[in-house]
Amino acid sequence: MIEVSHLTRRFGSLVAVDDVSFSLEPGEVVGFLGPNGAGKTTSMRILTGYLAATSADVLRVAGYDVLRDSLKVRQNIGYLPESVPLYKEMRVEEMMAFQGRLHGMGRKQLMGRVPEVLERVGVLDRKRQLVGHLSRGLRQRVGLAVALLPNPKVLILDEPTSGLDPLQRAEVRTLIRELAGEHTVLLSSHILAEVESMSDRVIILREGRVVADGAREELIATLGGRGHVRLEAVVGDAEAARDLLATLPGVEDVQITERVGIHDGFTLSGSGDLREDVGALAAMKGWALRELSEVRPTLESLFASLVVGDGSIAPAPRSAPAPAPVSLSVEPIVLDGISGMGLDLMPLAPAVEAPSLGTPGQKDNFYSLNPFDGGGSRDLSKPVGSGDTQDEGCEDEEDEA
Amino acid sequence: MRGTLIIFRRELAGLFAAPLAWILLFVSLLLNGYLFSLVLSQTQGDATASLEFVFGGNFFFWALMLVLSPLLAMRLLTEEAANGTLEYLRTAPVSDAAVVTGKFLAGTAFMATLWSSLLIYAAALSLWGVEPDWGQVITIYLGAVLSSALFVAIGLVACSLTDIPLLAAFLAFMACLLWVMMPALGGMLLVQMRVLFADLFGGFEVAEAWIGGALERMDVRRHFGNSYFQGVLDSAEVIFFFTWIGLFLFLTTRSLEARRWRG
Repeated sequence: MIEVSHLTRRFGSLVAVDDVSFSLEPGEVVGFLGPNGAGKTTSMRILTGYLAATSADVLRVAGYDVLRDSLKVRQNIGYLPESVPLYKEMRVEEMMAFQGRLHGMGRKQLMGRVPEVLERVGVLDRKRQLVGHLSRGLRQRVGLAVALLPNPKVLILDEPTSGLDPLQRAEVRTLIRELAGEHTVLLSSHILAEVESMSDRVIILREGRVVADGAREELIATLGGRGHVRLEAVVGDAEAARDLLATLPGVEDVQITERVGIHDGFTLSGSGDLREDVGALAAMKGWALRELSEVRPTLESLFASLVVGDGSIAPAPRSAPAPAPVSLSVEPIVLDGISGMGLDLMPLAPAVEAPSLGTPGQKDNFYSLNPFDGGGSRDLSKPVGSGDTQDEGCEDEEDEA
Repeated sequence: MRGTLIIFRRELAGLFAAPLAWILLFVSLLLNGYLFSLVLSQTQGDATASLEFVFGGNFFFWALMLVLSPLLAMRLLTEEAANGTLEYLRTAPVSDAAVVTGKFLAGTAFMATLWSSLLIYAAALSLWGVEPDWGQVITIYLGAVLSSALFVAIGLVACSLTDIPLLAAFLAFMACLLWVMMPALGGMLLVQMRVLFADLFGGFEVAEAWIGGALERMDVRRHFGNSYFQGVLDSAEVIFFFTWIGLFLFLTTRSLEARRWRG
């Protein structure tokens, strides 16, 4: 439905889009992702015919060449620019009628289609309102309705959720997801969570170049490599536990990370999901588990490393049940190092772990819950539940009481 | 053609939706009405002289045209570019030529509404028993509309060069002013050149006569005064306006198309 091959666009000496190639199948929803100035809007404008390409081997939308059959292309696309350009002095239904007439729709056709589309985007009750009196969110929806009105084969949506509050964003995301299958959708955002929630496939742009293209899991698999399993448990002898863990099927490497209080930390890497076997071993050996999780590189960390150009991947922990989807936080944060690029990302795992509460201090074989060693503590040489746990702190408190 | 009409209707509605249009119309009608009644009373009810004075025979007529046409062009093109709606239009399935023509027609229709006060005054005089020369009234009206159309077209070219509304209005005004002043300025320049080059080049008189003639032929006021103002509808005078308007609309279209490359 969209074919782009070796597309380049220059503005003087600035190369805004540099040898970009990609294609979209009918019904696909694809997200352009990249920081401000990555070339997302320029690429979209070229596809709509608003800007000309400096050079391109193939540039086809809906089967038509963008340069030679520009009007045909424009007949088959619904375009919503980031600024949502609507005539403020027009009523919503007038704006829709104007769009319909531009696309050659007749009066009867308009009478049927306009309420249908307005209903779909949830602004039917606002059809008599002046566009200029609408809130940003409502205007965005009207913009979407305008783009959808001629039932285009291709929808090009530039930052469709920018400037919206979280609730409105969620509504627009749901709407766009519903459009999958009916229309081929190319959308853009500089917020990863937005793109991920709306599209199946992500094209990451950086300085006008495509740096990654694929489905979320594909990108993680191809760019991020394998993950690892993290284990924290009371194992007694860490060295012996490591040797034991190394014998598990599929385990290729076991590293002792750090000891936090009575808990030893291990990192296991290997093929397949190792958590079941590790869990079974822990149960058999009576290890008190504090953490058993699979840690995989997230798309957020990959995206950050791709757009910043830093190869390091900061892994974020994933909750223990393996098939559970990665939860997406609503509130994005701006990462250090890439702030100023307009790049909003999801929160990552903290780079520095918080100091453990269980600092044993001078007592090597005692675990204290109190940072000043005045809290409950127990003998570290014995496993949990052995009945020898002392609670000196509590006793002290009781005495004082 | 379909696209032109759709855009023309929207632009005209858009112009009249803005308070600025009504304010301009009000001020213009007030000024014209006052001048008309003043001249009518001073000439003891000479309808023709009064109409001639108000529509073409005084400074305000040309001043209005020179101020309003660039403002309209700015509103039609540059404001839309600044608001982003030009991006909407230029990604809609209509050609740039249709967009430009539609906007030009809307601007011209607005000016035609402005000058329609001439027809109202003539009709009022007719009602009171003083029959004006209707042929002359119609040709003056046509001439005023065509002259305004020419200035709107010149304004559109200037406004297509920038996205800054104030700069666009200034450029458009200067371009229109230059067009009106060109014969006079050209004449002055020729006099200066004659002083400098007459002794050097033998055939300077011939060149001077040719350039002077060409500049004279571009004089809007002369074309208006010699034909429309006199009640004569000369095809050559109609072609003059249509040719220049066509050229300026073509240039505007090309300038818009160049934006695709310029960005």
